[in-house]
Amino acid sequence: MAFSRRNFLKYAAMSAGGAVLADTPFISAEARAQAEGGNVKYVPTSCEMCFWKCGAVAKVVDGKVVKLEGNPYHPQSRGKLCARGQAGIGQLYDEDRLKHPMILDGPRGEGKYRKASWDEALTLVAKKMQAIANKYGPESLAMMSHGSPGDYFTNVLKAMGSRNIAFPSFAQCKGIRDVAWELTFGHKPGTSCERVDLENSRVIVLFGTHLGENMHNSQNQEFAEAVGRGAKIICVDPRYSTAASKSSFWLPIKPGTDTALLLTWINIVISEGLYDKEYVEKYTVGFDEVKEAVKEYTPEWAAQETELPMSQIVESVRELCRYAPNVVVHPGRHYSWYGNDTQRARAVAILNALLGTWGRKGGMWLPAKAKFASFNDGAPAYPPASKPSLIKGDFPFAGGEGVTQVLRDATITGNPYPIKAWLVAGTNLMKSLPDQRLTRKAIDSLEFFVAIDLFPTETVMLADVILPECTYLERHDGLFKISTREAGVAIRQPAVEPMYDTKPAWWIGSELCKKLGLDEYAAKDNWEGRMRRQAKAWGIDYDQLAKHTGYVTIPDSEKPYITEDNQPVFGTFSEKIELYSDELEGEGFDPVPKYEPIEHPGKDMFRLIYGRSPVHTFSRTVNTQWLWELEKENEVWLNKKEADRLGIKNGQYVVLENQDGVRCNKVKTKVTERIRHDCVYMIHGFGHNAPRLKRANQSGADDQQLITKYIEDPITGGTGMRVNFVKIIKEA
Amino acid sequence: MELSITGTNALTYPVMHVWDWRVAIYLFLGGLSGGLMTMSAINYLRPGRKGPLQSVCCWQIPVLAPILLTIGLIFLGLDLERKLHGYLFYTTFKPLSPMSWGAWIVLIIFPVMILYALAALPDEVKGGMKKGFIKNMADAMAPHLAFLAKLNIVFGVLLSIYTGILLSTFVARPLWNTAILPLLFLASGMSTGAAVMIIVAKSKEVKLFFTKLDIWLILGELLILALMFYGHYTGDAAHQAAIMPFFDSSHGHFPYFLSIVVVGIALPLAIVLKFLEVTGKHTEEVTGFGLFLMNSSAILVLIGGAIVRFALVYAGQLSGYGYTMM
Amino acid sequence: MPRYAMVIDQSRCIGCMACVVSCKRENDVPPEHYRTRVLEMVQGSFPDLTTEMRSELCNHCDNAPCVNICPTGASHHEEDGTVQIDRDKCVGCKACITSCPYNARHINEEHGYADKCSFCQQRLAEGKKPACVATCVGGSRIFGDLDDPQSEISIILRKNSHRVLNKAIGTGPNVYYINQYPKRA
Repeated sequence: MAFSRRNFLKYAAMSAGGAVLADTPFISAEARAQAEGGNVKYVPTSCEMCFWKCGAVAKVVDGKVVKLEGNPYHPQSRGKLCARGQAGIGQLYDEDRLKHPMILDGPRGEGKYRKASWDEALTLVAKKMQAIANKYGPESLAMMSHGSPGDYFTNVLKAMGSRNIAFPSFAQCKGIRDVAWELTFGHKPGTSCERVDLENSRVIVLFGTHLGENMHNSQNQEFAEAVGRGAKIICVDPRYSTAASKSSFWLPIKPGTDTALLLTWINIVISEGLYDKEYVEKYTVGFDEVKEAVKEYTPEWAAQETELPMSQIVESVRELCRYAPNVVVHPGRHYSWYGNDTQRARAVAILNALLGTWGRKGGMWLPAKAKFASFNDGAPAYPPASKPSLIKGDFPFAGGEGVTQVLRDATITGNPYPIKAWLVAGTNLMKSLPDQRLTRKAIDSLEFFVAIDLFPTETVMLADVILPECTYLERHDGLFKISTREAGVAIRQPAVEPMYDTKPAWWIGSELCKKLGLDEYAAKDNWEGRMRRQAKAWGIDYDQLAKHTGYVTIPDSEKPYITEDNQPVFGTFSEKIELYSDELEGEGFDPVPKYEPIEHPGKDMFRLIYGRSPVHTFSRTVNTQWLWELEKENEVWLNKKEADRLGIKNGQYVVLENQDGVRCNKVKTKVTERIRHDCVYMIHGFGHNAPRLKRANQSGADDQQLITKYIEDPITGGTGMRVNFVKIIKEA
Repeated sequence: MELSITGTNALTYPVMHVWDWRVAIYLFLGGLSGGLMTMSAINYLRPGRKGPLQSVCCWQIPVLAPILLTIGLIFLGLDLERKLHGYLFYTTFKPLSPMSWGAWIVLIIFPVMILYALAALPDEVKGGMKKGFIKNMADAMAPHLAFLAKLNIVFGVLLSIYTGILLSTFVARPLWNTAILPLLFLASGMSTGAAVMIIVAKSKEVKLFFTKLDIWLILGELLILALMFYGHYTGDAAHQAAIMPFFDSSHGHFPYFLSIVVVGIALPLAIVLKFLEVTGKHTEEVTGFGLFLMNSSAILVLIGGAIVRFALVYAGQLSGYGYTMM
Repeated sequence: MPRYAMVIDQSRCIGCMACVVSCKRENDVPPEHYRTRVLEMVQGSFPDLTTEMRSELCNHCDNAPCVNICPTGASHHEEDGTVQIDRDKCVGCKACITSCPYNARHINEEHGYADKCSFCQQRLAEGKKPACVATCVGGSRIFGDLDDPQSEISIILRKNSHRVLNKAIGTGPNVYYINQYPKRA
């Protein structure tokens, strides 16, 4: 046992004298380790079980990570880690990890590989990339990525002259929302996290945002705090989510009609004079146009369109206004729903503006104020793009993160120019992009495909060369700028040496640069050296970060609320909140959101909606021991009455078939009162088709498999994915 | 109610199955050996008994009792997760723990049983034995047979009752948590003891005596069983739910439903058979059909007794203050 | 001497399972075994529903059936009121598991001893809160000393109506529940 009875009694005697059990377990990681003595080491680092970048502290005993705890100094974790963060050790010691470089030894897709040395693998990758760049031009090299490895390979591609780099986190997730808020406020609604002041909110409105299940640590801490304090939750969701279970108003809206509700609310807010007149006057432009445009959206109409009781529509928004501006309509996160999503996000932004939540306590705090000196470690500027990048497609407001499926389409068609090689780092494209058939087709048409990842996912196992990255507990990554109420800097550093023959992504990227003769873009020495120089450039004590607290605050950066001498700055053309968007109008889009009805499922068909589990991150963690144990497979939620009508019992395995005749794995039915009759729900990320993931393989069903249809948002290129209809086939 | 639980242990969810057939066998054999102690002693001590005390008729019964108890304890031992730690039972005495009581009682009961078995050995058997410790002990004990028999009546009853006391103390398992359970196990133990007497005894007279006695024991057992169900039925929700499996023929509960049906047929049928036999005309010799009737009714009693133990051990673990009752 | 207890504010539980996993890591609980669990109970019919979230663990009962039944003294009360298992004394008879009305115990199948929540005895000895409390994202689990009238837990219990699970059984649990349902003023 880790403690002696004598010590225990000593402590017990001490606490009888009034000692309090500490919430904050350490002041300095180094000091804590010294106090405990022995072979114990505490390493402050940043979690990567999801992308919230919580501060974590790894307890290392005899060179093994035995426990992960939340860093109390880090604003994203506040001393706590979620289930996934706790289970990070399971990722580190997962025996199914990629263990050494592999080179395809047979046809693509058959999964036959031979072990290779790093030198051989990287030489091959460099040779192939160079050859393709020579033959088709550097622009024929494309990259898709998620998370921290992206930076290192972006560097490689840019140095070679390609700008065809896309992150699914834009068009398949939150990019749409960011664009809409930039159009309205001139800022994204948050970078490290949504700038929602939940812990001080009196009313929180959630459109599909399933806090509790969408497990972003600090935001959930604040949400629970709000619930505990008795804040009112208005939850708009066709499914009775965990958040809905905490709500005063659950509005089980007909899927796809959220904008109808929002515009009606805006109408009520304006026509009943419930908006913040002074705020609107001072900070916004286009109020009159909005007032005029939303007149047609009456509660009677909305009740019909959304299938919500009119009284509920009216009462909920009045309750919201009663506590304005200390309220927030959450900007949401995953936004690629129906293909007209920018306008929904605009409506959310406009409603927030009318209620005056931006810069108000309980609303949305103002961006932290901090300037970081630019730092690129003396690397030269990148050569210009060989050809203009394709990543924005035909979407005027697509962001710099790129529209992933545009690169996929270009790979298949060769238009406007050929894309012949993919470098995919840290994203399982088969699971993140809609229509897997197209993803596969694109991969099949590549001349070269290299994957950098931790696990042999279905996407990785289609690559020609697989480069195994080590986990976040085994590597340095760049110093992270953390932008919460305050600005700060956090570190990721290894708790243990890389296991097997795996390498940090920075090293892989750097070595690749060297093999390509781009030495000036390679790391000067090692990443820690670079991080030290970066800290110096930013005026931060690296040792404080690395040895003691893992996170440092930028002084005086926290100015969350509007005061006389802390006025908001809006990055729009008008430097005001643009309720009416000239920018959108200029590109031929509706300057004020309009409601566009969408197609609804026919008889015996259900709209497929999907979401998240608090214990899993997309498809990344299903194989992680302690998380897999908690949730081995997903279920399809089916309304009780519909289930009775169809003769389906709770727990029965069924197969779903979508409008295109595509079927998923068998999946367990959850017969429930918790969902509307016209949709079915499942948690995203299951149903792996990856035999080397021994636990995760074939367990549960893959929603993405059924998402063969998607509607592109014309403004941003976001892929609306909740437009697929499924029928339920009882398993024989 | 839609209930979902994350973080359950297979041992206790969706239903508890901590103890299995090994414990049921132990309880059955424990009760039976208690019954054998008492019944064989009654055979010696009953008024109107003819012939010498030591008799070739039923000397095997006192010998059988400790053997069956040993087998039962072996099954109980097999159920221990740490068999090598078994000695720890004897490093302490826990007055609140019926298990601790049981462990120590066994230490007293075995000598009582064994000395009794030695005392009961008839000369016909001892004649064939080599001289030695056992024969000397048997000779030394023989004069005390009557005393030892009285002692065995008491301890046999205690042993049979004890097998029910253990389960009845579990407040967490409403089906078991009734003071009538020890009585049920007592009646059942005695009844099965009588059944074995009937089967083993060679003398018609002994067989008939225990056949008569067993009618009362079975009636008692059935009455107690009915009272137990009645008690639960009139109890709180958890107690009511506890007996539900016995009255529910659906898939999950069918074995319990079946057990009640079988017990409900076997025991009354045994009574009828015994009644027929007792009221019939008898010769000195055991006739083929009479033997068949007596033995088959005895076997029905043993089956019934075993089913009662098995059903209660398993069904008791289904009962509880379930997750949704808290 | 402190008297340890836990309060669970059910309204704050968001079902994130951080407690479940941190407990497993802290206490090296074998695969597929748990010392704590989270229940989600939904009642009603669409769209009129209500939910109770309830995390459960060993109640460290004052009148603990598991301690009473244990034939060897392996299960025992510590001076701080917690119920603990002396693994060296456990024979694995499982009577304690059967005796627990809260199904809080299980067998460590690797070593054969009975196991359960210890309120992270090893952390208490270091002056830390139990792992589940330390990482409870919702702030739903609150731990402290009942004998200290100024402890957070004592104050909460004075100010809130509270209950214990299956009070009528009379086991005297030391895990208290408040706010069975979220406040919905």
